[in-house]
Order: sequence, then structure tokens, then C-alpha cells
Amino acid sequence: MQNASQRAAARTQSKGLADNFRKYWPYYVMAMPGVIYLIIFRFIPMLGSVIAFEDYQVYTGIFSSQWVGMKNFVNMFTYSDFSRILTNTLILGALRILFCFPVPVIMALMMNEIGAPRLKKTIQTAVYIPYFLSWIIVSELIFDLLGVSGLFNRARALFGLRPLLVMQQSKYFRTVYVFSTIWKEAGWGTVVYMAAIAGIDQSLYEAASIDGATRFQKMRFITFPMLLPTVITMLLLQIGSFMELGFEHVFSLLTPMTYSTGDIFDTYVYRVGILQAQYSITTAVGLFQSVIGLVMVVFFNQLSKKISDDGGLW
Amino acid sequence: MRKRSWNDQMFSGVMTVILILCAVIAVIPLLSVLALSFSSKIAVNTNAVTLFPVGFTLDSWKAIVTRPDMWRATAVTIGTTLVGTFLALIITSLLAYPLSKKEFGLQKGIMIMVVITMIFKAPTVPYFLTLRSIGLYNSVWAMILPHILTAYNMIVMRTFFLGFPREVEESATIDGCGPFRILAQIVLPSSKAVIAVIGLFYAVTIWNQYQHPLYFISDMNMFPLQMKVRQFVTESSELQTIAAKRAVNYTERSLKAVVVVFAIVPIMLVYPKLQKYFEKGAMLGSVKG
Amino acid sequence: MKKVLSVLFAILMLLSMVSVSSAEETVVDLSVWGTNNGFLPVEKGSPLYEKYLEITGVGVTQPYVEWNGGTTYNEQLNLKIAAGEMPDMFNPNGMETTLIKSGALLDLTPYLEKYAPNLYNLIGEEVWGSVRANDPTGEGKIWYIPSVIYGRNAPMIRKDWLDKLGLAMPKTQAELVDVLKAFYEKDPNGNGIADELPSGGRAEARWMGQFFAMFGVAMWEGYPQWDLYDGELTYSAVTQNMKDALQFIAQLYQDGLLDPETLLNNKSQWDGKINAGNVGIWEHIPQECYNYAEAIYESTGVQPDVALLPVIDADGYEGKGFYTGRKLSGIEFVVAKTDDEKKIMAVMQLLNAYGDTSKWMDFYNGVEGMHSVTKDGVTSRLPDDKTTQQNLILTPYNTISTPEFQVELLTSQLGTDREWAISQAIRNVKELAQYTHLPAGDGIPNSIYGEYADIQNRTLYVEYATKIITGEYSIDKFDEFVDKWYANGGQAVTDNARAWYAAKQ
Repeated sequence: MQNASQRAAARTQSKGLADNFRKYWPYYVMAMPGVIYLIIFRFIPMLGSVIAFEDYQVYTGIFSSQWVGMKNFVNMFTYSDFSRILTNTLILGALRILFCFPVPVIMALMMNEIGAPRLKKTIQTAVYIPYFLSWIIVSELIFDLLGVSGLFNRARALFGLRPLLVMQQSKYFRTVYVFSTIWKEAGWGTVVYMAAIAGIDQSLYEAASIDGATRFQKMRFITFPMLLPTVITMLLLQIGSFMELGFEHVFSLLTPMTYSTGDIFDTYVYRVGILQAQYSITTAVGLFQSVIGLVMVVFFNQLSKKISDDGGLW
Repeated sequence: MRKRSWNDQMFSGVMTVILILCAVIAVIPLLSVLALSFSSKIAVNTNAVTLFPVGFTLDSWKAIVTRPDMWRATAVTIGTTLVGTFLALIITSLLAYPLSKKEFGLQKGIMIMVVITMIFKAPTVPYFLTLRSIGLYNSVWAMILPHILTAYNMIVMRTFFLGFPREVEESATIDGCGPFRILAQIVLPSSKAVIAVIGLFYAVTIWNQYQHPLYFISDMNMFPLQMKVRQFVTESSELQTIAAKRAVNYTERSLKAVVVVFAIVPIMLVYPKLQKYFEKGAMLGSVKG
Repeated sequence: MKKVLSVLFAILMLLSMVSVSSAEETVVDLSVWGTNNGFLPVEKGSPLYEKYLEITGVGVTQPYVEWNGGTTYNEQLNLKIAAGEMPDMFNPNGMETTLIKSGALLDLTPYLEKYAPNLYNLIGEEVWGSVRANDPTGEGKIWYIPSVIYGRNAPMIRKDWLDKLGLAMPKTQAELVDVLKAFYEKDPNGNGIADELPSGGRAEARWMGQFFAMFGVAMWEGYPQWDLYDGELTYSAVTQNMKDALQFIAQLYQDGLLDPETLLNNKSQWDGKINAGNVGIWEHIPQECYNYAEAIYESTGVQPDVALLPVIDADGYEGKGFYTGRKLSGIEFVVAKTDDEKKIMAVMQLLNAYGDTSKWMDFYNGVEGMHSVTKDGVTSRLPDDKTTQQNLILTPYNTISTPEFQVELLTSQLGTDREWAISQAIRNVKELAQYTHLPAGDGIPNSIYGEYADIQNRTLYVEYATKIITGEYSIDKFDEFVDKWYANGGQAVTDNARAWYAAKQ
């Protein structure tokens, strides 16, 4: 039984929403197509995640497959190398954010400083080319470059060093992962920041010039701070997909000799789930990864709201 | 005065050199694939090709360029990309704009909903069944509709809208414009950089897609370019046919290299065209006053 | 007059339409799914469809389904099943146990012997016995058409290199090492560069049978097999034989006698090295050695002699080595469950034609002008061309193959300028038979692995084996591997395997 003040509060709330609608109904209408789209194309299929709690058989169907509760999750947690894949996934995710995330920002700031417009355009286009080649192709290249007669070992030979087969050693896997990520994705990542830089008010730069600021100072005190909101949003988005290291990426670079540092959730799921067409396990692992991603986004979102007023995704 | 500009030039110069180095490193994979596509059969079979063609030949290119199914796939890809990007920009901006307004009552709720769709992915089979049930099987729309709104792109666009100067919008409201008009006639025209970026994101996603055609399209005439690439990238089996040797100067690997280049060159060339929207000050001409 | 003619013409048209439509009514179309490495689909009315109709009397269609090593194929198959559109006949590619258990497949037992006798008799009672024993429901039913092959993988050696260096074919382990050393040091390919790779293989220690075979390790294309060790059915990866084999390989790797990139090589990389004339000993399929021979000739100008390497006597394993054979090699087709009698009969008709060896050359040659060409009464296959050729769905000569048929195919290609290479292949096929040994676990069903996917995928084995070979792990780590393997499901799987074997006796 609600008491009077609770009822009053509820009434105010609904009155608030109704008021809001009356005043700002165009916003509601604008948002409708998007929301309906998301419901149909994202939410309804998402409900199918229930198969993570079933022993899902395609022939029997989603509704008739046997319910097994948390069994798939338990199997995953008790997998003998679970701690290894968890550690590897977390470490690679962290390395990604620490090393791969800043590179496009720095590159965008640097590209902004190039005087000659044609050179700038050429460089912009060149650095974003690797993004378009699939990992299968790029990884073949990496193997070639790091092979016995590849550029890397030929360079080592010049210094009198013996050839080193990097791709067979687990201690180098993380380095290869980080560098290959930067190589392939940094250029593409600069696009967003270039667009944001384009939106910075030119009068700020003019005023700084009058005050005698160097290019470096302008970059440090104008460009970078104005870019920060975009950077924070991109960072939050990146954290949201923290556990997503790119299956094709890791899989194409992985060899059995580098499992100890390179085997991650996605490759584990590939062996156990996809190869055997066990959708329940695949979905269970996916759910687990998503939950971790959600926790992290919520945490960092709260953090960024504390730092800046407009910060955070919600 | 002179000292300052020397410092500035050094600064600029160092940046430029580093970036040129980056650009060269970035271009290497493409060079290697291009080299393969122009190399002779023997060179390719014996792995003799690195960054430059060995035994230069145009045969691989001729073999691919004369195939009508490649051009059909190109048409499909171009068509779906254009239509998809156009629709995507409309529906994304329609959602991003209200979500950038604090006064919109459902803002927080919808944002949470959006973030959830971004983090939680639907499993393959239910996703497939849902889309099939709304009629998206073996239809071109199966390659367009699933891509026209992504949480990621919408959030980026929203961030840009958040940074749009309020004074401009407020003065328009005072002049009697409703939100629809403000969006269409004021915000969007001044947000060319954002539209270029988000448009590029969507265009590249649609251009590069292969999962949706894989699941939803069985008619080979409707295959986009990436499906063609996959057709060539498949490794042949261990057992071969006892057949006469081809008297041609290309192999599966060189054909594969050609198809890969064929599939990415068009979309790669779009960015340079869009770069003019990234010119400084392109976004806001009207704020000064 | 004109009017009469036009009326007659109209009547003729009508008649032909009637006969065509009645013929169409009696043709049953089956959708058949299988491997497709990028060839064109087979639609109703297309040339290959008509050809198969001519050979078998049944309409066979196949949409374009990407194979991609089986993963994409499985996904698409599952989506079809989920949507209620299972193909009529298909390759289950590892999913048969779950499909049988969910009741998705047709029980073939009441039909096969009676309605598809050609196939039934060709495969033989012994194999059918295994198929029945593999029934996961335990009722001894026949749920699939097996693929039956023979031992066709073996190592080959550049005999021309041996001749050039004045060496005899190696027979013992010591002689093998001497030959490898000679290949390494004495520049047998004569180009003045020390670029020879005496031997090697591919990633995951696959296609290195030359070294596993000599220690009596049952291994098929790099996948350890179940065989009798000390009288008990055991997974060959956890035996003493495997330990000794790995120790030998690791020593060779350390001495530089193996390609240092062995464990990184994919198929095209390793083949590239062979084709460039740099490799001395490698394992593949001797009946196809002419592919390598011709490629080596093309790139180096030297006509190699690619000969079969006889089984080497390893120290302590004299006379115990063998080349692993295979009989019940997997599942070719299962049939979707249906109550449609017409469909079932059509499937049987198709299978009966499939098993009729007199029709095999017709299957092999496919469509005239597309897959093969006939000149002066001799039909020969055209090279693979994914642009123009439809996928050959029905390849009985590959799935129920015999060495005799292979020799027949090869012989038909003699008398051309390829004779020098093809004759080597024929010689090698004939020689191989004496060395093959069928492991006791041949035909063991995948259901023994239960939910131990990593045991089925041999993940642990691959990790340890590769690290031992490169020297990162010492050979003592092998015992750790065996313990870990047994502890993480290996014991349960071994028990299942032994139960299967006992039931089979």
C-alpha cells in the first residue's frame, strides 16, 4: 500500500514525463524510428541468448531444447586452462587500451601540424589503407616479414644476429599483437579525431598567435583540450568492447606454440563451440564477456561523469 | 620573431618525417598484395614475391577483370553502399540529435538501452531467425537494413552534436524554428565533417560486409564483392584432380591478390574525396558573432 | 497449306510439352550439400544437373555454400536446419551425433541393402559392421554412408638427389640422418646456394609422417590415431613411440636438418618450398606426386625423380614402422528425416548409381566442355576453373576409392608429354601398398570424445609437440603432457574407446 507522499512522487514523475512530451514531442518523434529499429534488429534477437542456459540443438529449436541452467557457464569456469584464457584476454585488452588507443590521437595531432596540404592528404590516405585488408592477408604478411628470410631476420643478420622466429615464441606474442593492431587500425582511428579537430573554432588559434604561442603550445593548450570530449567518448566505447580482441586477428596470428599468451576467449570458443557447432557454449562465453564489458563501462562512465560535466555516455 | 618560426618549422618538420615513415610502413601490405597480383605463376608458386612483382604479367588482372560476375558484384556492392549510407545517415542523426539534448525526458533511458545493444550481441541462430521472419532472406535489403543504425556510430555523432554551439540553436528557436527545422537546416549543414565521418564509417561497414550475405543470400547473382573475395581465398583441398596443366600465367594465389585489391580500391579512394570536409573551420562558419 | 502446317506444328508443340511435363513430374529433385572450394552451384536445369540426371535418373541440386575448412559450412547448415529447411542429403561434417540424437536423420537400414545394392556391396559387410557399431543410439542402425579409402599418404624423397650424390635409399635411422646431412651440405639442387631444406612439414607438426611412421606412431595427416600399443587400444600421441619420435624430430630441428619454419608453414608456403626444388623429403599423397614433379621442373628446369621413401627402421623399432592406412575415413552423406516415400526412393536410386563403378568415369568426367574435353575418342579432364565449372557434388571415386581406380585414372593420362611425371605416380602407388598398416582404431566414432572438445581437437598434444620440436620444452616435458592429457578427459575418452573396441570384437 503506497503512502500519500509516495503516490504524490509517482504522480509528479509521470506528470513530469507527460509534461516533457507535451513540450518536446518533436524529440520523441525523431527518436522513434531509431528505437523501433533497435528493438527489432537488436533486442529481439538478443533474447535468443537464452540458449546459453539450454543444451541447444538446432533441430529441436530454441523453445524445446533442454534447459540446463548454469551448466555451460560452470563448464567454462572449470575448463582446465580457464585462468590462462582469462588472463590473456584481460592483458591483451589492457594493452590495447594503454598502447593502441593513444596512437590515433597522437597521429591526428601530428597530422594537424603538417603544412603542405597535398602531403597531408597523401599521408592521411596512406595510413588508413591497412584497415581495409583483412586479417588473413595482413597476418600472412606478418609471418612473411618475421620469417627466416623476412625483412626482420635479414636486418638481424646485418647486425650479426642469428635469425629469431618471433611467431613461435609466446613471449613475443603480445608485442606482435600490439604492433599489428597499431599498424592496421591506427590510421583509420585518426579519422574521427581529424573531424573533431576540423570543428575547433579557428578564432582560438588566431588569438593564440597574437599572443605569440608556438605550434607546440597551440597543440597543447588548444587542440588537445578541445579534442578531449571526443577522446573520452571513444575511450568509453573502446572499454565497452574491452574483451573483444578481434577473433580473426588473434586467430590468424596464433600458433600452438604461443597458446600460453595468445589463447583468448574467442579462440577457446572457436575450438570448443564453433568447430563443434555448440551454440550454447558460444553464447554462454559471449554473455560472460559482455557482462564484464558492461561492468567496466558502467564504472568508467561514472568516473568520467565525475571528471567532467558533459562526460559519460548517460 | 625569427626564432619562433624556426622552432615552429622544426616542430612541423619532425612531425612530417615521422608521419611519412608511418605512411610508408602502412602501405607495405598493399604493395605486397599488388606485387603478387602482377607476378608470374612460377614466382608466386615458389614464394619469390615480396614487395615488387617478379616476372611482371597482366594475366591475373585480365582473368579477373573480364569476368562479368565480378562487375555484377561490384554493382551490388556500390548500390547497397550508397542506399545504405544514405538511410543510415538519416536514421542515425534522427536518433543522435534528441539524445544530445538534456531536456529530452527519455534521453538517459534510451542511452542505456543503446549501450546495452552495443555490449550484448545476439547469438547467430536467433538473429538469423528473427531477420528471416521479417522477410529478409535472399533479398538485397538483407545487406542494407541490418547496418543502418549502429550504437557506436550513433554515440559518436551524438558527441559531435553535444559540442554544437547552443547559442546558434537558441537563436533559431527564438526565431520560431522547431527542432526538426533546426536539425535539418542549421545543425546538419554545419556538421559536414561529422556527416562525412559517420557516412564513411557506415559506407565502409556495408562495403566490407560478408557475414550478412553469407547467411542471408543464396543467389550468387546477388553476392557483393567480399563474397567474391572469399570465393577465391578458400584454400584448395589436398586432393587434386588429375588434369592437364593450365597454360596460363596465373595461379589461385595471384587471382586472390587481384580480387583483394579489386574489392578495396574503390572504397579506399573515398576518403581523399571527403577530406575537404575536414578542413579547419569546415564545421562551424556561423558561430563567430 | 500453311494453315495445315501451322496446326500440325501446334499439335506437335502441345505433344512435346505434354511429354516434357510428364517427364518432369517423375523426376525427383534432391538438394545435396557437400564440400565446395569455390566452384559454381548446381541449379535445376543447369548442365551438371542434366548430366547427373542422365547418369542417375535423379535431379541433384546444390546452392553455393561456402566450405571454408568446414566452419562456414557448418554454420550455414545449422541455420538451414534451424529454419526447418534441412537439405535432403548432406555431409554432416562432424555434427552427425547431435543430429542423430535429435532425430533429424533418416534411418537407412531398411532401405540400403534392398534398394541401393551396388553401393551396399561395394562398401562391404565389414565396413557396415563398423557403421552399425558406431550408432550413438546403440541400436545398431545405419545412419550414414561412410567414406572408404585406403592408405594413400606417404613420404617422398628426391631420388634424383640421391643419385646425384651417389647415395643409396636410406634404410636405417643412421642412414636417414646421413642422407639429410648430405642434402644439407652438398648442394644437391646444384644452384650454388645452400638453400636446401632436407626435410620439414607444416604447422601443428602435420605432414611430417616420415618421422612418426618409423617409430610406429599411427598418424594420419598429422592427427594421431587410435591403435594397439602394448595390446591395448591407445591414443598414439601419449605413447612411448610418440615420445621417441618427438625426441628424434627435436634433434633434427636443432641440427638444422629441418626447415626452421616447419611449425609456421601453411600449405602454400610449404608447397612453395617443395616446388622451388629446395626440399629433399616431404610427406604428401604419392599418387599426386606428378604435381610436385611438374612444378619443380617448371621452376628449376630439372626433371626430378620423386620416389616413395620406404619405411625407415628406427633405433629400437626395427620392423615396427609403417605408413598409416585408413579405411573408414569419415561420413560422406546423411539423409534428412522424411516420410516422403518418393524422396526416399530417389535417394536410394541416387546412391545405387553412386556405387556403380561402371559409372564412375562418367561422374569423373562431368560435363563435356566444362569439366572435360574429348579429343580423338579420349576424354581428359580440364584444369580446375572456378569461373566456369560447377561443383562436382558426386565424387564416388574419391570417397569410395581404391588404388586400382587411381592407377586406372593415371594410366589414362599416359602417352602425353606428362608421361615422365605420371609414371612416377603410378610406380609410387603400387609400391605404397606393402607399407600400409590399418590402425586398430580405424573408424572409431567421434562420440567417444563426448564433451571433451579439446581432446578431440588434440589441443594439448599440438601445444606440447610443437614446443618440444622447437626445443622450447625439453623432452622430459612429454611425461607432463601425458599426465595432463589423461587428467583432463583423456582417461574418460580412452575408456570409451576401449569399450568401443571390445564391443567390436
